[in-house]
Amino acid sequence: MKVDHYQNTLRWIGRLRLVSISNVANLMASVAPLPLPPSSFIPQQLMRHALLTCLVAVLAVRSMSAEDAAGLLPADQPIHEVVDHYVDLQLQAAGVGPAEQADEANIIRRTMLDLVGRIPTAAEAKLYLAAESPTKREAAVDRLVTSPGFTRHQANELSTLLMGKPDDKMLKYLKVAVAENRPWDQIFREMLAGKEENTREFLKSRVKDLDRLANDASVVFFGVNVSCAQCHDHPLVSEWTQAHFFGMKSFFSRTFENGDHLGEREYGLVNYKTTEGEEKTAQLMFLTGTVLEEPAERKLTDDEKKKEKELLEQLKKDKKAPPTPAYSRRAQLAEVALRDEERGYFARSIVNRVWDRLFGRGLVAPVDQMHPENPASHPKLLEWLARDLIEHGYDLRRLVRGLVLSKTYSRSSRWHSDEHPSPDLFAVANVRPLTPLQYAASLRLASMSPTWFPEDIASEEFAKRIEQVENSARGFANLIEQPAEDFQVSVTEALLFNNSSRINTEFLRDASDTLVGQLKTIEDTKALVEAAVWNVLTRPVANEADTLSSYLEQYSENRVIASQQLVWALLTTNEARFNY
Amino acid sequence: MTRKNWFCGSAEHSVSRRSFLGGAMAGAAAMTAADMTVLDVLQSPAIADELKRQDKRVILFWLAGGASQLETWDPKPGRPTGGPYRAIQTNVPGIHISELMPRMSQRLEHTAIIRSLNTKIGDHGGGAKLMHLGRRDESAIKFPDLGAMIARELGRPDSSVPDYVNFYTATEGRSGGTGQSGFLGARYAPMFLTTESKPENLGLPEGLTSADHKTRADLRQLLSNQFAAGRKSSSLGSHNEAYARVRGLMSSEKLFDISDEPQSVRDKYGPTLLGEQTLVARRLIEAGTPFVKVSRAWWDSHGQNFETHLELVSELDHVMSGLLDDLKDRGLLENTLVLTLSEFGRTPTINASLGRDHFPSAWSVSLTGCGIQGGSVYGKSDEDGRTVADGEVSAGPIFATIFRALGIDHDKEYHFGVRPVPLTNPGIEPLDELIA
Repeated sequence: MKVDHYQNTLRWIGRLRLVSISNVANLMASVAPLPLPPSSFIPQQLMRHALLTCLVAVLAVRSMSAEDAAGLLPADQPIHEVVDHYVDLQLQAAGVGPAEQADEANIIRRTMLDLVGRIPTAAEAKLYLAAESPTKREAAVDRLVTSPGFTRHQANELSTLLMGKPDDKMLKYLKVAVAENRPWDQIFREMLAGKEENTREFLKSRVKDLDRLANDASVVFFGVNVSCAQCHDHPLVSEWTQAHFFGMKSFFSRTFENGDHLGEREYGLVNYKTTEGEEKTAQLMFLTGTVLEEPAERKLTDDEKKKEKELLEQLKKDKKAPPTPAYSRRAQLAEVALRDEERGYFARSIVNRVWDRLFGRGLVAPVDQMHPENPASHPKLLEWLARDLIEHGYDLRRLVRGLVLSKTYSRSSRWHSDEHPSPDLFAVANVRPLTPLQYAASLRLASMSPTWFPEDIASEEFAKRIEQVENSARGFANLIEQPAEDFQVSVTEALLFNNSSRINTEFLRDASDTLVGQLKTIEDTKALVEAAVWNVLTRPVANEADTLSSYLEQYSENRVIASQQLVWALLTTNEARFNY
Repeated sequence: MTRKNWFCGSAEHSVSRRSFLGGAMAGAAAMTAADMTVLDVLQSPAIADELKRQDKRVILFWLAGGASQLETWDPKPGRPTGGPYRAIQTNVPGIHISELMPRMSQRLEHTAIIRSLNTKIGDHGGGAKLMHLGRRDESAIKFPDLGAMIARELGRPDSSVPDYVNFYTATEGRSGGTGQSGFLGARYAPMFLTTESKPENLGLPEGLTSADHKTRADLRQLLSNQFAAGRKSSSLGSHNEAYARVRGLMSSEKLFDISDEPQSVRDKYGPTLLGEQTLVARRLIEAGTPFVKVSRAWWDSHGQNFETHLELVSELDHVMSGLLDDLKDRGLLENTLVLTLSEFGRTPTINASLGRDHFPSAWSVSLTGCGIQGGSVYGKSDEDGRTVADGEVSAGPIFATIFRALGIDHDKEYHFGVRPVPLTNPGIEPLDELIA
C-alpha cells in the first residue's frame, strides 16, 4: 500500500520534470528540517505525503530551468539525449529500472535490421565487436544511414506505409527520393499531386473508393482514422465529427481516374446525411476543424459537360493527362496541412510511425489513433521530436539516426522477472517480427558461405554481393506475411519451412558458395557449431554450444546432412525470425 | 433486450445499416423479440456455453455463382416463373421442395429452409463477400469470414488438425471464395485447396526421413525455448505454436486420402469431385476440424438454367443426402451443422436464353443438423417468388443463427484496434424459431 502511494506520488512528480530519484533523497533531506509537528502526532503516511507535496513544489521550480519557453528541452540538444531524458523520467516516476543495455552483437544486429533491412554478415558482426573505439556505435550508425542499403530498406518501409506493401512503382520513386533524403513534407506533396506515373499510385490505387482514399490519407499522413465518423460523430473523440470525415473527403472528391491518368475537376460538392437525417453539404475542412474558403463552385452547363466528356474520352485514347485545374482541392490539403498552426498532426504522425517501427510500439498506440483522448505515453518527447523534425526540414534520416543512438533503443529485450513492465514505459526492448523482406534477405545472407563475400566489407564488390542477395530474396519474401499489429505467425509458414522443397533449394543447398557447403568441410565439431551460429545468428556461440555439438555427433557419418539439419534449426528459430 | 452500444460505442452504424436495408428489418425484429427470457437462461453461465460448444463442427456447401432457389428450396410449380420442374412433397408434412432433390426430400426432418433472403447485392464479388462475412464489407476494416470466426471460436490452439479447410477447385469465382481471416490474422486463415486434393507442404520433404524431420524440429524447439525465456511477445509465442502444430498436421495428411474408406461409404457420396471432397470434409470434421467449406461451381446459369440445375442440383442432392446419412450413422449429425450458402439466388423471370439472372431479392439457404430445428421453413416469398412476402432477412441473422446453433455467443466482441467488433453486427439477432 505504502509503496503504491509512494509510486503514485512519484509518478505525479515525474510529470513535473523530476530529474532523478537521487534528487528526491537529497531534497527529502533538505526539506526535512521544516517545522513540522512531531511525527508521533501524524500517521507516517500522511507525513510522507506532506513531505512529498512540499517536494513537488520545490522540484517544479527547479526543473523549469532545463526547459525552454515551450516547456520542452532545448532545441539544440541531441535527439538521443532528449529521448533518454524523457523516457528515463517516466521510468523513475513509475519506479521501474530499465533492462540493461543489450550486448554488442545484439545491438549491431538490431541496428542493421532497422537501418539496412538485413542481418550483418558474420564478418561485419565480428568487426563491430572487435572495434575498440568508444564512438564505434555512432560511427556504425552514421555509415549505415548513408549507405545504399538504407535507401533500399527505407524505401521498402515507406512504400509499406503508403501502399501497404513494397510496391514496384512506388519503390522506383522512393529509391530516388530516399537517396537524396527528400524531406517528408515534399514526399507528401508529391503523393497528393500525383503528377508522375510512380507517385500517382497512392491516389490511383484508392480513387475508385473515395471514402477509403480520404480515410487512408488521414491514417497515413495524420495518424487519424476517421472512418467511424463516416456514419456518426466519433463517440470517443469529441474532435472528430461527420463534418471532419466529409471535410476530408471533400479534398479528394473531385479526383477521378481517366485511363492511366488522374484528373481533378473544379466542381462537385460532397453531400451527406447527419444522424438526425439532415442533408448537409460538406465544407472543405481539415482535421483540425479549419475550414478553407474557396472559389464558388461553378456548375457546368449540359453542353459543357458533353464537351468535357468528349475531351476526356479523347485524352484517354491518346493516353494523355486531363488538364490541370486552376483550383485544386488536393493542393489545398497539402497547403493547409503544412501551415505553421496546422502541421502538428502531420509532424507528430510521422514521428510516431518511425518510433513505432524502431521500438515496436508507438508513443501513441495504435498509430492511427492520434487524438486528444488517446494521449502519447511521453507527450513532451513527441512534441519535442515533432518540433525538431519541422525545424530540420522534415529530415527523416536525421530522426532515424537520433532515435537509434539512444540508450532506450539499445536496451536488452530480456526482462529479469515474470512481471514485465508496462510496454509504454520502453523499459525493455520489444521483440518484433521481421518483415517479409527482412526475413527473406536475412535467411539468404545467413545461408551463404562466409567466403562468398569479399573480405573487405567496405569494398564495392561486397556491397554488390549484398544487393545481389537482397534481390534474390524477393521471390521468397512473397511467401511470408506482412506483419501487422499483434502479428500471429501462421501454420502455413511453419509448414512451408518444414516441408517445402523450396527451403532446401534456397537455403540448404550443398554447394561451394553456400553455408552448408562450407560447414561440411569443417572437421572439428565445435568449430562447425561456432561457424554456423556466427553466420545465422551473427553472434558468438553461447550456452547452446554443447547441445548443438552433441546433436551433430548423431550424424557423424554424414557431414552434409548434419550441417543441413543444424542450419535448418538455426534458420527457423525465434531468434532468426525476430528483431529482438 | 436492451443492448449496449457497439461500434465505436455507438448504435449509429446499425441505424445506417438499417436505413440501407430500407426498414426491412422491422419484421424480423418483431419476431425475434418474442421469447427473450428463455434465451437469457441459455446464455447465462459461461460454462454452459463452453460445454455446448465442445465438438461442434460445420460443413459449408458453397454454391458458387448463385444457385437458383426455384430449382432447389423454393419451387413455384405452375407459375409463369416456375420453370419445367415440379415440386415434391417432403417427409415433413406441408413442405415441398424441387423434384431435383428427391433424396433430400426424404431427409428434411433435420433441415431448416430460409426462403426470405433479401441481400440487395447482385454482383458476384459483393454477394460472395456479404455471404462470407455476414455483413457488408467496409473499406477501413478487414472482417474475418465465417470459417475464420468458427475456427477461432471452436478450434483448439494445439489442435493437430487444420482449423479451417477450404476446397475450391473451379477457377470461376475463386477470387471471391478464397476465404479471409481479416483482422484475426493468418492463424485463422484457411488451408486452401485448389487443384491439389491434398494441402501443400503436409508431406515430408524429399530426401528427409521422418526421424530426421522430427529431431531437427526438436532441436529448433529447444533453441527457441532458450531464446524465448525472459522475452514477452504474443508474436513470439505464435511462432512456436505454429511450429509445434506441424507434426500433428502432417499426421492429418491421411485425412485427405479417401482410398481407405470402404466402398460402401464412398458410394454414399458418389464418384464426383464434390462427393470426394465432401467425404474428405467428413473425415476432417470427424478428426476435429471445426470448419470445412466445399465449393461447387459454377451455378451462374444466365443461359440454359434448367440443364445446369438438373446437373448441379442432382449432384448436390446426392452428395448432401449421402453426407447426412453418413453423419447420422456415425452419430455426428447432432454436432455437425451442414449449410448451403450462395452469393445470391436467381431471377424468377426466365430470360430469352432460358436462363435465370442474378437475384438477391428473395432467395433461399438451408441449415441442417447441429442445434437446428429440423423440418422447418422460415419466411416466405410471394407466389411468383419475386419479393419476400414474410420474414425478410439478410446475411446477419443467418450468421447469428449459425452461431447460436453452435452455442457461440454472436454478440461476443473481437477488437480491431480500439474498435469492438461483435461476431455479427450490432442489433442482429438469431432466428429463434430455427434453433432446436
